[in-house]
Amino acid sequence: MRRWRPLVIVLLAGFILMPLAQTFLLSFMSTLPREGMAEGEWSLINYRAVLASPALMSSIGNSAVYVSINVALCLMAGLPAAYALSRYSFVGDRHFLLLLLAFRATPPVVLSLPIFILFSRFGLVNSPVGIALVHCLFNLPIAIWILEAFISAIPRELDETAFIDGHSLPGFFLRHLIPAVAPGIGVAAFFCFLFSWVEVVFARILTVTAGKPITMAINALFTFQTDIGLVMAMTVVSLLPGLLMIWFVRNHIAKGFTLRA
Amino acid sequence: MTTPRPYRNAAWVLMLPAALLMGAVGVLPLVSVFNYSLHDIFSLADVLWVGPEWYAEIVADPRFHASLLRSLAFSATVIAVQVPLGVALALMLRGMRGAVFVLMLVALPLVVPWNLIAMMWLGLVDPRTGLAGQAFAAFGIPFDWKENAALTWALLVAMDTWHWLGLSVILSYAGLSGISPDYYRAAAIDGASRLVVLRHVELPKIAGALGIVLLLRFVDSFMIYTEAFALNSGGPDEATWFLAIDLDEEINAFNYGAAAARSMVYFLIVITVIWAFARISAARRAG
Repeated sequence: MRRWRPLVIVLLAGFILMPLAQTFLLSFMSTLPREGMAEGEWSLINYRAVLASPALMSSIGNSAVYVSINVALCLMAGLPAAYALSRYSFVGDRHFLLLLLAFRATPPVVLSLPIFILFSRFGLVNSPVGIALVHCLFNLPIAIWILEAFISAIPRELDETAFIDGHSLPGFFLRHLIPAVAPGIGVAAFFCFLFSWVEVVFARILTVTAGKPITMAINALFTFQTDIGLVMAMTVVSLLPGLLMIWFVRNHIAKGFTLRA
Repeated sequence: MTTPRPYRNAAWVLMLPAALLMGAVGVLPLVSVFNYSLHDIFSLADVLWVGPEWYAEIVADPRFHASLLRSLAFSATVIAVQVPLGVALALMLRGMRGAVFVLMLVALPLVVPWNLIAMMWLGLVDPRTGLAGQAFAAFGIPFDWKENAALTWALLVAMDTWHWLGLSVILSYAGLSGISPDYYRAAAIDGASRLVVLRHVELPKIAGALGIVLLLRFVDSFMIYTEAFALNSGGPDEATWFLAIDLDEEINAFNYGAAAARSMVYFLIVITVIWAFARISAARRAG
């Protein structure tokens, strides 16, 4: 097996990178017939068009806002819950875990209609808060699983000494628990960011007239005569935050956590 | 988990924010869907009670059976491809210098928004401008996937594997890195073969992580929509017409009662699988 390793890695890299390379190449080409430019000519025109389009630029901001709110919500609600599940047993703890599993597994299409009706009643349609809230449906379970795994890896003595030292619960969370599970918080934030950034079903139905995320802005570019180069340039832009996140968590992403199913 | 966790119901205070959130975005909408599914909804003001009629209609519908079989076949195929491949790659990466770069590589497709994935692949296989499409054309290989059901399926499975292989590799690798070297030393002393180590040390240790991979891959592939529809609109000849496409058709026709009943049926199928999964993993832990 060891002998074949380089070959396997080259094949894998080819498979993974080919669609990305295709996108990248097209994003630097002029793909529509233009005055004084051959089709397929190398150019930065697509990226200039992205910068010049208010709709595209604001969609980047919209996506960033709801993803950030979602990550914050999932961590703030997820950390105490993960701590409780890791350290105590209580009425309904197993059922709560099963409920989390069930909602992580619920296809978004199943709930899209009532969520739209419910959220329009509370003025949460076209607002980033609405999308951030609804993305908790699948991200909060993930945050709780990951944080629970990391907290369970910390010996219980940490809590006990802190409480003997006279720390209150919030003080213990801020001064001891959060620093101790920082890598776990990073990994949980990464996965929450990821699933919120790439989700399209809720993001589409909850943005009717305004607040369009990056994914819907790209969909709107498909018209009678689609500028595929522009589409690809915007796609490349949409990948950048994800690439940055991968870079930040690279050393934690697969290290030392085992998930308890 | 050596000492049992102390029993304390006050811990619910810590659960409160999470429970409220899940209640608002999960339980409440689910109850509403169930309510809609028992009505014929012409408009929000004009609603007629029909009881379980929609359910009877769906369960007896041969189109539903066909879509269900297709979706199950698709889930089985992607799991059969992605899980063993992910485990094999994770085993290969174990203890390799630079493994983290390969993990970053396979994580790349995970950050692509779902509606852009099919678009990237369509660009790739385009016979005029795509890298793969041009290569097929240059070698004279006919790649008429639009009309050929087997090729559409192959393309869809390749695309889905491209998208999700990273999840399977990363979680398997995380599980493997949790195995203490003592196990390997003990196995070496016993003269255990590679297969025995895999069967009795590695697979049991990564079972938890693999369970998560299986579950996530099952639910997401079972309800595949964005990618499948963008690729070939359910065609050719409905060969890639999956459950979620049926549901979307119903919603687009403003058939909300029927759509809600369909949603409930899908939800029940998914829940049954989850329940079986929870039972199996509980039995495994006990046994």
